[in-house]
Amino acid sequence: MDVSKKPGSNGQIPLLPIALAVVAILLGGFVIGATTGAIFPVQASTAAYAIDQLFFVLLTIGGMVFLLVQGLLYYSAIRFRVNDQDTEDGPNFHGNATLEFVWTGIPSVIVVVLVFYSWSVWNQIQAPQPNETTVHVLGQRFNWVFTYSDPLGRLEQNPDLAQTFTSNQMYTYVGQPILLQIDALDVNHAFWVPTMRIKQDALVGRQTELRFTPTREGRYRVVCAELCGGGHGAMYTYINVFPDEETYLREFVDPQVNFILNPPDDPVLRAPTVLANYPCSGCHVLDSLGWVGIQGPSMNNMADTAVRRATTYNAPSPEYYIAHSIRWPNDDIVPGFNAGVMPQFGASESEPAQVEGAYYRYMPDEDLIAITAYLCTQTTAPESPCGDLEAIRVAVEEQR
Amino acid sequence: MASISVPLGGVGATTAPRPKLSEYLRWSVDHKIIGVQYIATSLFFFIIGGALAMLIRAELLTPAQDFMVDGAAYNTLFTMHGTIMIFLWIVPVLAGFGNYFVPLMLGAKDMAFPWLNAFAFWLIPPAGLLMLLGWFIGPAEAGWTSYPPLSTHFSPDGQTLWAISLHLLGVASILGGINFIVTIRNMRPEGMKYFQMPLFIWAVLAQSVIVVLATPFLAGALTLLILDRVAGTAFFTPSQGGDVLLWQNIFWFYSHPAVYIMVLPAFGMISEILSVHARKPVFGYRMIALSSMAIALVGFTVWAHHMFTSLQPELRIPFMITSMIIAVPTGIKVFSWLGTIYGGRIRWTSAMLFAMGFISMFVIGGITGVMVASVPVDIHLHDTYFVVSHFHFVLYGGTVFGVYGALYHWWPKITGRMMDENLGKIHFALTYLSFLGTFFPQHLVGMQGMPRRVAEYAPEFQAMNIIISISGFVLGVSTFLILYNMVWSLYRGKIAGSNPWRALTLEWMTTSPPPPYNFVGDPIPFEDPYGYGTEASREYLKAMDERFVAPMLNPALRKRPDAQLPAPNPSAGD
Repeated sequence: MDVSKKPGSNGQIPLLPIALAVVAILLGGFVIGATTGAIFPVQASTAAYAIDQLFFVLLTIGGMVFLLVQGLLYYSAIRFRVNDQDTEDGPNFHGNATLEFVWTGIPSVIVVVLVFYSWSVWNQIQAPQPNETTVHVLGQRFNWVFTYSDPLGRLEQNPDLAQTFTSNQMYTYVGQPILLQIDALDVNHAFWVPTMRIKQDALVGRQTELRFTPTREGRYRVVCAELCGGGHGAMYTYINVFPDEETYLREFVDPQVNFILNPPDDPVLRAPTVLANYPCSGCHVLDSLGWVGIQGPSMNNMADTAVRRATTYNAPSPEYYIAHSIRWPNDDIVPGFNAGVMPQFGASESEPAQVEGAYYRYMPDEDLIAITAYLCTQTTAPESPCGDLEAIRVAVEEQR
Repeated sequence: MASISVPLGGVGATTAPRPKLSEYLRWSVDHKIIGVQYIATSLFFFIIGGALAMLIRAELLTPAQDFMVDGAAYNTLFTMHGTIMIFLWIVPVLAGFGNYFVPLMLGAKDMAFPWLNAFAFWLIPPAGLLMLLGWFIGPAEAGWTSYPPLSTHFSPDGQTLWAISLHLLGVASILGGINFIVTIRNMRPEGMKYFQMPLFIWAVLAQSVIVVLATPFLAGALTLLILDRVAGTAFFTPSQGGDVLLWQNIFWFYSHPAVYIMVLPAFGMISEILSVHARKPVFGYRMIALSSMAIALVGFTVWAHHMFTSLQPELRIPFMITSMIIAVPTGIKVFSWLGTIYGGRIRWTSAMLFAMGFISMFVIGGITGVMVASVPVDIHLHDTYFVVSHFHFVLYGGTVFGVYGALYHWWPKITGRMMDENLGKIHFALTYLSFLGTFFPQHLVGMQGMPRRVAEYAPEFQAMNIIISISGFVLGVSTFLILYNMVWSLYRGKIAGSNPWRALTLEWMTTSPPPPYNFVGDPIPFEDPYGYGTEASREYLKAMDERFVAPMLNPALRKRPDAQLPAPNPSAGD
């Protein structure tokens, strides 16, 4: 600011105070910028380093602008204050072309620099990496389903079996470049990992992509960042980063592949893997599988609940009630909950949903049998109140 | 250096008669009645929107979803808070000030189209009613941005009412915008060229250009949304050939310029207040006027920066470039305002405190605006509380502070009474501090990983959210100080006289409040609306008061639109 125009000055520009103020603003800007690291969460991907560095520059420049403007504002407000009843005018001073040129020119230069810097960071974080692993993620109310293929190609040798496996949490390892292909089933969502500084919307009808490389072992929150309905705040999961590829294969991939190659006969044992295909955990609580959703009724002790509800609802058996509630979720609404919220998991690939506007999704009988059998084990009683496996199979088939 | 003493024009004089309350409750084509109708209606919705904000903050005191019965009910709160604050508070309150003061500042007797003006206002109460009626049939819950398919196949019927209500409000805006443009183009008095107009008029002109060009796009988007909801079309349904990004593009093509619709008039208010209360001409008048137009035009090229995480990746950089460019004209304004008050004789009136508070808060919103304009940084910050904080610094710390300043500044003109200055200063101090306490920490929780629009959040953010909520409650309570002050002043306020701030713009060259036809005869504008510190401006004020304003207190003259002032008495002299 042009201090030479200060009224009452004797025409001398007070160089020392100006120099001190400039130094204070520049240093202050760096001090403000230096808080970047303290505010952001840990850096868990390559993008995090580049983005934090860029933010540091933005915050430093922003901090300088902040100090300059607030400094001048507070200085003027205090230095030039007069009594409210004062009746004199200030100087009739209309402007200064040089100053206006300076405060147009300097911000313009800063803007150009920031554009090119941001552009280069953007090119860096979205550049394709060699040896990328492709993972597919489907966002749906109110959960994520991740789909992987076997990196060792074991499933390809058995074309009759499922070629992919799924989970509700994401698994990867330090240094694995990931290409995430993102889809949305019902409404738009956004895949956000705050510690990795990466975010991409999941759009209905348009597959989007996100590239990142984890750099830090640990378990980090994946947050849905696009409003998707009542359970939006509860729509989060975790990304588990193993220290190395060996651990990743041993802990996550091998059990999944083995499960497909040698599926257990018992549907109850198959159920947790089957359930990872569906978004149930986004809305229901089930302690035995770690579900924490709040939009729907709790699944804890579901077999006992089914006995009670089967009586009120006139269902022939608890297993019938469970299977029916998944195939036809709007027939019996638990008090306190709304119809049309839960997707309808039908028995054929496509058919109109029971309630207009409700979401329809295909669930083969085999999956429903496993899920019903599993829920039948959720009881405080010493024995399941449901019938045996054959009874469950019959109950499921009766829903067609 | 001129050091000039001017008597306070008319303070303590008899006040001019105020319109009766009943005149405000019925159809009137008087722009001043309509202006007050706008301001009063929008204040009513401000209180409702504020109450919703209090409920939001109550829910966010704890990480769990506990206060609201379910998540959808919480979504209703922020959806209605955002929609009401934008479309039923900020936009109409600015239209109210524009209505009241644009004709007065031009020395005109009314707007160019008085009937259209009244019609535009009377669209607002039914539109507001429709918006509120949504609560009885399942209110809108898809956020004020209402992205499909959440707003089409997954929202209750209130969403349709929401869209119809916005449609009506959009029509009201467009009609108002046309009226302002024609008024400003055609009704400037003799001796006032474009670059002699008060900056508030420049700001309203720039705003009206945006309103007229952008609002039809909102109407288009809303029409498609309504058709998708009630007529079975599929503009936004991908499985039937629609596209969810279509809505985002059209919506933001309106809604980004809408940000300037909401802030440009406040820029104008600030320019008026700073100059008058620092008794110093506006620094770089021409650059402030032209930067408003520059912002209006460049503002049409930046919309997709709201879509950095959904837009096709190759389109993101171009929108980053335009978004950053707009920082330059905005910066010019801030520095010009600082240049205006620097070296002035600053009265810490309530109006001036809010105007300076505006600069203090708006610059923070500007800095964070550049941050979120940068694509890589926005990838992390998009849809977090950082963004919530950013736009509250611009629209609350900016526009609402500007409106508070304008209320303190122009209330004496509207009512003939001064608001209490001490209470005004307490209001400012409380608002300034609690605003910072409410919105500054939101930057931090956003950066740390708290998304916006959630009723349930990670427990590590609780401490910060408690600070935010408590400050928010104080901010909510502080609003009642100005509401009380306004009502109190009507009965007990000091009589203002025609020109309590000794300002040079034409709205002060009539009685407070002005007669139905504003001026008896045609007022003569001073050559420079901000020519403080000159002998000529002192002479002008004195001459206008003696020859022009004082005779207007004669009740017989006030009633006749064709009345002429008596010839000046030569013996009075100058």
